[in-house]
Amino acid sequence: MIFSELYSAYYRSVGEIISACLHGHPDEKDLRKIVEQHAFSESALTVLPALKEERWQLLRKDFSTPIRHDPSLPLTQLEKRWLKAVLQDPRVKLFDARTCGLEETEPLFDLNDIRWYDRYADGDPYEDEDYIQRFRMVLEAIRAGKPLQAELINRKKKPVRMRFIPTELEYSEKDDKFRIRITGSRFANLRLSRISKLEYYTGTGPWNYEPEPETVSEVVLELRDERNALDRVMNHFAHLEKEAEKIGRDRYRIRLRYWQSDETELVIRILGFGPVIKVLEPESFAELIRERLRKQIE
Amino acid sequence: MAYHELIKNFSRIRDYMKEFYVYGFKSRGGYTQKSARSYDDEKRRVESWLGDFMSFKRTPEGKNVFLSIDSRTVESNPLYTAWKTKSFTDGDITLHFILFDILYEPSVRLTLQEILDRIDREYLADFGEALEFDESTVRKKLKEYAEAGLIRTEKSGRRVLYSRSGMTELAGAEDFLDFFSEAAPLGVIGSFLKDRLPAHRSRFSFKHHYINAALDSEILLALLTAIREKRTVILENQSRRYERITTVEVVPLKILAGVQDGRWYLMSLHLKGNLINSYRLDFLKSVKPGEPFERYDTIARVYEKLAEHSWSVSCAWSRRRLEHVEFTVRVLPGEEYIAERLEREKRCGTVEQTDETHWRFAADIFNSQEILPWIRTFIGRITQMNFSNRTVENKFKEDLEAMYRRYGIEESGEAGS
Repeated sequence: MIFSELYSAYYRSVGEIISACLHGHPDEKDLRKIVEQHAFSESALTVLPALKEERWQLLRKDFSTPIRHDPSLPLTQLEKRWLKAVLQDPRVKLFDARTCGLEETEPLFDLNDIRWYDRYADGDPYEDEDYIQRFRMVLEAIRAGKPLQAELINRKKKPVRMRFIPTELEYSEKDDKFRIRITGSRFANLRLSRISKLEYYTGTGPWNYEPEPETVSEVVLELRDERNALDRVMNHFAHLEKEAEKIGRDRYRIRLRYWQSDETELVIRILGFGPVIKVLEPESFAELIRERLRKQIE
Repeated sequence: MAYHELIKNFSRIRDYMKEFYVYGFKSRGGYTQKSARSYDDEKRRVESWLGDFMSFKRTPEGKNVFLSIDSRTVESNPLYTAWKTKSFTDGDITLHFILFDILYEPSVRLTLQEILDRIDREYLADFGEALEFDESTVRKKLKEYAEAGLIRTEKSGRRVLYSRSGMTELAGAEDFLDFFSEAAPLGVIGSFLKDRLPAHRSRFSFKHHYINAALDSEILLALLTAIREKRTVILENQSRRYERITTVEVVPLKILAGVQDGRWYLMSLHLKGNLINSYRLDFLKSVKPGEPFERYDTIARVYEKLAEHSWSVSCAWSRRRLEHVEFTVRVLPGEEYIAERLEREKRCGTVEQTDETHWRFAADIFNSQEILPWIRTFIGRITQMNFSNRTVENKFKEDLEAMYRRYGIEESGEAGS
């Protein structure tokens, strides 16, 4: 069962509180901080009185505890079975995952029972040893804050050499690809699979470039709820920051915030909905749609 | 009943969180199914759990409450929080920490009586009005933990000994869990594992990351379990439009996960109608396991072959229902990425270059309506279309004309001819 108190934020907070009381002399303010860190904004109003009033008999009045060991819990069967199921995933090879202790465990599910039916077909080569090595090197470089230099094939299929400081690995579920988010270069990111050679940068050259900071733009759409459009549109754009307002019997105004660098992708996605949505503003975005419509007429 | 931050039952909060996160345009009065009191309580809970993401907007109908999250900028799925809010009794939490303190390592093996003695003597003696745990309560709790895999039981003569299960080392699993708790099915379980690790910054972020499927985790788990066990399931399915709940018995065949809209479907054999039906997981209210289905492997094999012709979820038993879809796009020099798009994004069918500047996609699929949104993404370069279902082809052209009108564009020639 997934919904269980074993995984609850309250159990976790109380475990941390007991640890703190075993190893020191925390006051109420310290305990409140622990609850705020591990549970929710109103949780302290429940957790602390329950402990102080001895409804949960785990702390004495002086905040000492009859518990003698740091609270710990073995993995539940659910957790072990999930780990075993995930080990079937080809992307596991990217990580140095140890599997000891799960030999007797049945996987929670079979990955073959799920089909990602609209995922793009040219995902990254997770079985390729060179790719795996480069992935691990990037992760290590991010952890250590070390710069890298790479040889790669750029979008125009030209070989390029560049150096950069990796800050994050970004995975797209739709593309099934990793991009390295970088700094110290004019570019903000690069595709991991485009890299043909990667090594640590040991030079002392100055870092003159920074990528342009990502700007967040807004587009406002008017939606007519025909053919289940409301449900389709709201789900499709669910991953973006958005605001929706009902403005008529079957009409809605939707405001989406997107990264400017994704504008072309957003134009295409909006086109996909056909006449049930119309870009209201900004005019420049509406013009991008018109441009494609005009080309279609030609 | 007084307000509590924790909840006993997940289904109601699942509905509210979906409304707040996916739709977010309703005011208090718009939640017709539930009482105003229920709305206030659920809103307050979500605000306490996810306050940073909660937004409000004044409209003529009242105040709209919604969750606004750019999932690309969060390290871990904020909606997992809801799974960490199960309520419990005073006795549950007290007994939990005491039991695992008594059984603090796997080598400590005790009988129920020994555990009971130690609870009273060593843990509760200092409390004025000490909680009382009788034999049956403690036995029940130990049994529950044994079923969860936390406690081992063994017989020694006529005695039953209880000990904690061995620990599994998670050190060094940070990257693995940071990634798979977001990218793997039922990632919320990975998030429980992450909670056991010291706080750290993830080195991953996620684009096109649909986080709302997390709310359907128990539904998904029940379906995947039934598929593994090759048994039927009884579904309670709610139509979003009509809000009516229907009960059906089906043979679950496959889960389809949509990475372009975050919608997950169950593909199944509807027993009474002998139809291949799809059900949205977020519309399923409950899933109950049924009986093992004898012809499971045969049906599943047939479905797999037929599914090669599904663009998304439409599927039928007979290939005679297939519809031919074909369209051609113009690809000028320097625009090879368009041809690459066709190859990359097609889910079935073929792509071929017909002359220096034209590429054609063709497929036989069960429902040509389903492919229209994809074809529209090529607007601006579509030069030819040929659908065996002329009604759908005409619908595409009518839609295109409607778009011209909506954007005030004068049509001087026939589009897509």
